[in-house]
Amino acid sequence: MSAHSAPSRLGGHASPIQRSGGSLPFSDERHLQAHRWLVDEAYLLDAQRYDAWLELLTADIHYLMPVRVTTALGAGYDCAPGMAHFDEDKYSLSRRAARFCTQHAWTEDPPSRLRHHLTNVRTFATADPDHLVVDSGVLLYRSRGDVREPALISAGREDLLRRMPGGTGWLLARRTILVDDAVLRTQNLAIFL
Amino acid sequence: MTDQARLFSEVRRGMIPAHIYNDEEIFRLEREQVFGRAWVFVGHESEVPQPGDYVVRRVLADSFIVARGEDGRVRALFNMCLHRGMQVCRAEMGNASHFRCPYHGWSYRNDGRLVGLPFHRDAYGGEAGFPRKGQTLLPAPSLDTYNGLIFLSLDPDAPPLHDYLGDFAFYLDYYTRQSPGGIELRGPQRWRIRANWKIGAENFAGDMYHTPQTHTSVVEIGLFREPKAEKRKDGATYWAGNGGGTTYKLPPGTLEERLRYVGYPDVMIETMKQTWSTAQLDVVGRDGFMVSAASVFPNLSLVHNWPRVADSEEVLPFISIRTWQPIGPDETEVLSWFAVDAQAPERFKALSYKAYLMCFGSTGMFEQDDVENWVSLTSTAGGAMARRLLLNSRMGLLEDDTEVVAPLPRERFAGPGVARVGYGEYNQRHLLERWADHLEARA
Repeated sequence: MSAHSAPSRLGGHASPIQRSGGSLPFSDERHLQAHRWLVDEAYLLDAQRYDAWLELLTADIHYLMPVRVTTALGAGYDCAPGMAHFDEDKYSLSRRAARFCTQHAWTEDPPSRLRHHLTNVRTFATADPDHLVVDSGVLLYRSRGDVREPALISAGREDLLRRMPGGTGWLLARRTILVDDAVLRTQNLAIFL
Repeated sequence: MTDQARLFSEVRRGMIPAHIYNDEEIFRLEREQVFGRAWVFVGHESEVPQPGDYVVRRVLADSFIVARGEDGRVRALFNMCLHRGMQVCRAEMGNASHFRCPYHGWSYRNDGRLVGLPFHRDAYGGEAGFPRKGQTLLPAPSLDTYNGLIFLSLDPDAPPLHDYLGDFAFYLDYYTRQSPGGIELRGPQRWRIRANWKIGAENFAGDMYHTPQTHTSVVEIGLFREPKAEKRKDGATYWAGNGGGTTYKLPPGTLEERLRYVGYPDVMIETMKQTWSTAQLDVVGRDGFMVSAASVFPNLSLVHNWPRVADSEEVLPFISIRTWQPIGPDETEVLSWFAVDAQAPERFKALSYKAYLMCFGSTGMFEQDDVENWVSLTSTAGGAMARRLLLNSRMGLLEDDTEVVAPLPRERFAGPGVARVGYGEYNQRHLLERWADHLEARA
């Protein structure tokens, strides 16, 4: 997975740090920390605790979910040029989170029942010991009301984790979400992946 | 069987039988009578700028390759091999000189001409047995453009697009011709919603009334300063030709001040002044109305808004173009594009794109709440009780059908068609009257 922040028109502020070498052993302390971070985050997203989630994001975060397109083998690209579902900075993510905290975000009132199933976690070192790159798969099950069919969203993610000042934990500095559908089967993306 | 004469007469008096939003029988009629005849938007010339560029778009179940040939012309080719009917192009976008069918290898140039048949001589007797000349992928029965917007119609006798749009073309220019360079289109985001296709078209055509209620949250978080109840009802709705839309009333000021108020930089304002007609400039500068959402019958909608995209007072305008592509009576694929003036400064393009993502499209904070309403409505419309309910779509009409508000005189609204200040469901009724006309024509 190459970095998508660079071609994104809004990703200029994002950290350019890339992975180096192969995936770390599953017993590596850094992998254990990264995996735990993702699991803890998944529980926050399931519970829609977006105020707590925002605290896990760096001030310079770039949160990108390109639009996938069906292209011929060998076309050299499979994302729509210059278009994304999410292409967010901290401010726009904070507005999205703030909206869910109002009494009038009807699309999530009553709230969806969410489960972020997390899998295939791989951690990579970078040239900077304070940064890790983490790949993961996520399958979101989203159920609303009683008569509607549930929605499934499957995606791969590449995250850049940055050690918190003081070294006690990690923050998300960059996330690219490669959704596995060209046409989403959910009424909106009033959720995060 | 529905009593159709009665159904259409109810629709025409603004009482809408609720089941039309989720009804197999109605949908079958719509396939033939609406989507088999009307002009349907499929894309923009800026999506296929170079020879060989193509995108694949559908009109209901029919797939078309919208391709620019080596001669620079844009065509829409029915994506079905002349031999055994395979799709000759299975990608959604790209660049190709030829399309080769994967089944038996018939190949076509990007202008649709059949150029290759494997074993042409042995199996068909060569050119003498089966001349390739004149064999092409079926072209769309009708194709036409306006400001680079590509429309096609399955009706070979469709009227010229400009006649079909009629006076709505005046308003379409605000979205798609802010400079002689026109727009560039990016996307589309595509997603499927369990909602009937007509609901979105009606909403964008004229529903200013929903804004203060549905979109309360975006005001509360500081994204948007406009949709206060009082603000929205000061705007006007207009219907012209085959479409209509909504506007916001701008604060007092000159043309320049009003365009600056919605966030346009001076360099773009100067270009607009040279590009738009006096009447088009007067709607903004003299009359103080700025276009917002709009729809063209049957399923094309546009939106123009100006949110804050950062923690500052600066607002940034954006434009989105979308189609409500029917999948079934209770399912719609939304194709939502971001549009921006091709000559706009790069910084403006980037921030306008940001504004679009925050407000509309798959993640848009306006659109999220809209769709929730439409899905709920569609689900309820599918039952037996919905057949006994006439939805009240008579806003703006008194009991005796006289209008609550008189149309604006030309001195207060320079645009063509009929415009009225305030809340009303005139445009939703216009759209459904068009719909009834189409369904009745050969029913």
